[in-house]
Amino acid sequence: MESKNVLVVGSGISGVASALELANAGVSVYLIEKEAVVGGHSASFCCKATDICSKCSACVVFDKIKEAVIHPQITLLTNSTIKKLSGELGNFRVEIIHRPQYVDEEKCIACGLCTDVCPTDPKAIYSPFAEATPFSYILDEGLCLRFKGEKCDLCLESCPTKAIEFELKAKEQELSVGAIIVATGFDVFDAREKGSLGYGRYTNVLTGLDLEQIFTREGYLRLPTNGKEPQNIAFIQCIGSRDEGHGYCSQVCCKYAMKLAGLIKYQNPDTQVTIFYIDLQTTGKGFAQFYEKYKESIRFVRGVPVEILQSSSGELEVRFEDISQGKVCRDNFDLVVLSVGISPRKNSWDLARILGINLADDGFFDKKDSLSCNETNVDGIFLAGTCQGPKDIPDSIAHGIAAASKAMQMLAESASRRRGN
Amino acid sequence: MEPKIGVFLCNCGGAINNIDFDAAVKKVAKFPGVTCVNLSSDLCLEKGREKMISCIRGENIERVVVAACSPEFQEHIFREVLEKAGLNGHLLSMANIREQCSWTHDGDVTEKAVELVKMAVNRVRLLQPMEKKELPVNREVLVVGGGFSASNTALQLSRVGLRTTLLEKEAVLGAGTEELESFYGFDTGSMISAVEVDKNIEVLTSAQMTEVGGKIGDFSVRIRQEGGEILRKYGAIVLATGHQTELALDSEPQLRAEGEAISGLNIVSQEQFCCMLGNSGLETEPKTIGFMFDFSDENSRFPTLTTLNNALAAKKKWGSEIYVFCKNVKVDSEGMEKLYREARDCGVVFLKSEAPPRITAENGRVKIEAKDVFLGEDVILACDVLVAEELYLPAEGAENLSSLLSIRRDSKGFFQDENVHLYPVGSEKKGIFFIGGCRGDLDLGRVLTDISSVVMKVHELLSSGKILVELEKVKADPQKCVACLTCIRVCPHGAIQLVRVDGSKEVAEISDLACDACGICAAICPAKAIKFQGYRDEEILAQIEAIQEL
Amino acid sequence: MNGCIVAFCCEHSAYPAADLAGKLRLHYPENLRVIRVPCAGRVDVIHILKALEKGAAAVLVLGCEDGACHHITGNTRAKERVKYCNMLLKEVQVDGRPVAMFNLSPNAPHKFVSAVNEITKIIKESGR
Repeated sequence: MESKNVLVVGSGISGVASALELANAGVSVYLIEKEAVVGGHSASFCCKATDICSKCSACVVFDKIKEAVIHPQITLLTNSTIKKLSGELGNFRVEIIHRPQYVDEEKCIACGLCTDVCPTDPKAIYSPFAEATPFSYILDEGLCLRFKGEKCDLCLESCPTKAIEFELKAKEQELSVGAIIVATGFDVFDAREKGSLGYGRYTNVLTGLDLEQIFTREGYLRLPTNGKEPQNIAFIQCIGSRDEGHGYCSQVCCKYAMKLAGLIKYQNPDTQVTIFYIDLQTTGKGFAQFYEKYKESIRFVRGVPVEILQSSSGELEVRFEDISQGKVCRDNFDLVVLSVGISPRKNSWDLARILGINLADDGFFDKKDSLSCNETNVDGIFLAGTCQGPKDIPDSIAHGIAAASKAMQMLAESASRRRGN
Repeated sequence: MEPKIGVFLCNCGGAINNIDFDAAVKKVAKFPGVTCVNLSSDLCLEKGREKMISCIRGENIERVVVAACSPEFQEHIFREVLEKAGLNGHLLSMANIREQCSWTHDGDVTEKAVELVKMAVNRVRLLQPMEKKELPVNREVLVVGGGFSASNTALQLSRVGLRTTLLEKEAVLGAGTEELESFYGFDTGSMISAVEVDKNIEVLTSAQMTEVGGKIGDFSVRIRQEGGEILRKYGAIVLATGHQTELALDSEPQLRAEGEAISGLNIVSQEQFCCMLGNSGLETEPKTIGFMFDFSDENSRFPTLTTLNNALAAKKKWGSEIYVFCKNVKVDSEGMEKLYREARDCGVVFLKSEAPPRITAENGRVKIEAKDVFLGEDVILACDVLVAEELYLPAEGAENLSSLLSIRRDSKGFFQDENVHLYPVGSEKKGIFFIGGCRGDLDLGRVLTDISSVVMKVHELLSSGKILVELEKVKADPQKCVACLTCIRVCPHGAIQLVRVDGSKEVAEISDLACDACGICAAICPAKAIKFQGYRDEEILAQIEAIQEL
Repeated sequence: MNGCIVAFCCEHSAYPAADLAGKLRLHYPENLRVIRVPCAGRVDVIHILKALEKGAAAVLVLGCEDGACHHITGNTRAKERVKYCNMLLKEVQVDGRPVAMFNLSPNAPHKFVSAVNEITKIIKESGR
């Protein structure tokens, strides 16, 4: 049976952009997400405006997710993954597994009473973060006492809408769709892989993502160790990009580092900021304005350091080659931010196998050829966003919209062929 | 007759514990016009809403106030509830007593909550019903341009059943595809043939727009061709006018000073170099080639791409010594890092310097001097050919087009304002889009994405032939309008035009299709002639009246 | 209406930011009253003056960040009007009650709270 529905896999900004376009064009969309919350990585990015908008687009993500969640044409399936795929363009059958969602998001009113009474620490039932959509609480099986064999009914009893249910098992569902858009996003490069940089060992070595989340949660930056304002910050670029295992530029790091640096300087003009780089990517629409303003107040050093040591006073000593002087230098900073890159998801293999699509050499999903932008080797399956390669937010949105477009075009053609036009 | 107002309060399952709802209900019941007050614990659930519907029907309520969580996620749901209960969905006002009251203040907030309800009651009393209607729109699309982006947009629009006019100012289609052909094996000829045989595409060459009026769904465009002028109507307009490049000789002051010397030297553009590569009749193969980019203009994705491609091609064809001078290699595009590595592996040398190199002439060769960052020393190169830095600029006529359409450009003169909400391909006017090089420094991947994105956007707008609007949401009262043109000038979306009514008087008319409901016009109108339903002056002032007037 | 701060909040930026502040349980003074508007550019001088006439301690207009207005020029218009208001108030010698414009994004709840706290501080310092 031919279907005009579309399945979008992944509810990060690209998936959401695809889903919204299709939904606004009247198509019924299933938006499937493996986590309990929607939004992917970019939902936790902070606004980096100084006295002008810095075009980081974090607010656009916020708006789009809200729009998608309330759209009548979009059916949101969280806690769900694809088990099996059969069929072809115009007529796919997708088997989905839904992990048990112990808190029914239809009933949860996010009152917070369950968290108040939960006896574990950290709490087994909680709201993931304030911007989380759906704004529904989630239960972590790993922390919950009941799943450890103990008896506990506290949250169950406290819930005013009876939204919590423990006797749930994984459910299966079969969806009938005409096309599939894969928008599964990326993994953040694990900075611990570069052990000499001290991430995970030194508290004041953070990644760019950590910094985004700190700004989102707190609104300002304080040193994780002592809560004081950092005076001297270093950003190190190309961590997990343009190196041994990653033959590509992650496209986002230079810009996010500079914008975060700009934000830090705006909040505290006396803070010194140094950016260590290979090639500064000062491109893109809207970037020039920002760069003109901040390039004088940030110190740029060519050359990426490979070692960070912590002194007894807690200061971080960064060893780097100062190319202009031609020798190895050591500078002390109180905070180091590693600009981590975009890596392909480690579990892409699984999905590639289930869907029958190819992975490229670099581990991202492969496009059909150099002149296509979303098509895969399987007719009717399209790629959207960073799962196909690194992109920033505006490019991810555009790619998602393009995927929706290609899906519509292909469905229109396929339908017309079936009708014998 | 005062409309009957029903107020529905919700205590969020009993979780809102710093509002004394019993006291609140008593106070709210005394507000003028309120005939029914209801306390619920689950207005967001089906059960609670069913009760609301029966209450509205049972009590003949004509206006509804919901005092609960934020309207951001629930307003549209409650509007549906009103419709189900037989009321116009717009006769609703919400009071945010949870996120903006209970959750942000310690201690008892009953007084504030009651005041927020009063503000909503005051507003709802004045609200007017609004009707929705589907307005017909023209399904034809005008694509301005005739190159790669324009042609592919037309082809894709055809696949989804939309008819396009390709408007190219030159005599032939396919301009600007030289690089695509040489680097990606792209076949311009078959693209042009595909366009020419497509029944949904009309090609107008040697043609230009001279006047544009109207709005989304109904643009009137005057087109001048060799034979004369025609007037056409379109539902949407896509600009795909590309870009142009100019040798950045400003960064070579010494060379400019030497004036005549330039013509004797081999300083070429990327395009000219491309031709040299393709020219089998070249007299002497250059032994030493220099490339330059990224000094005058930081936005150098495209120059990086063409440099890498040209350098690799030259290396493979002639085996020349190739040196590339730049500040930063711009690799933030797909495949660029790989290409960069390939070039270096082939022996292309990259010299990075902070300041632009000095270019002079010496013995008929081009001499380039720059301080290489890594060596810390000056490097002097005498080369046979210098592929000079190019500025990536908006296409000729961009300024003219932008005033024809009254559309903003960015700080570099490319189309599309830098406002993030317009990305990827939108403009501040509904129905007008920009794609490809004319919007700025893009690479092939981004251009392809732009093309498909705009097809989706246009399809969404026009495919059904009608657009659902809220009728007269923002309206200029013809009785009060004095045609001062202020609203027309300030409307950021170009939604207002002057029309003649009653045969003689000219007044401002706000298009329901093009209006984006910001209210800037309503605030600025000196005659207070513009009414914005839901946000009229009286509706705003009524809320102010309610504050601490208990 | 003595002592209330009237805040005109644009529905694209300040209003959701205020909601987020609520979700994060960030606290700000109880005397804030939010009036939701479709764009900061909808706020007219008369609205601000009426609020002051009725006894507001301060009036805030909150819109999108400079360069990020959903309606391109709305926040700039609002800024001009706020400036104009302050000029008028000074001329008639009714200054001392702050009228201010703040710019923020919808995902910047901390900025919303700082704006309110900042105005509250100014009110206290001017002895009202």
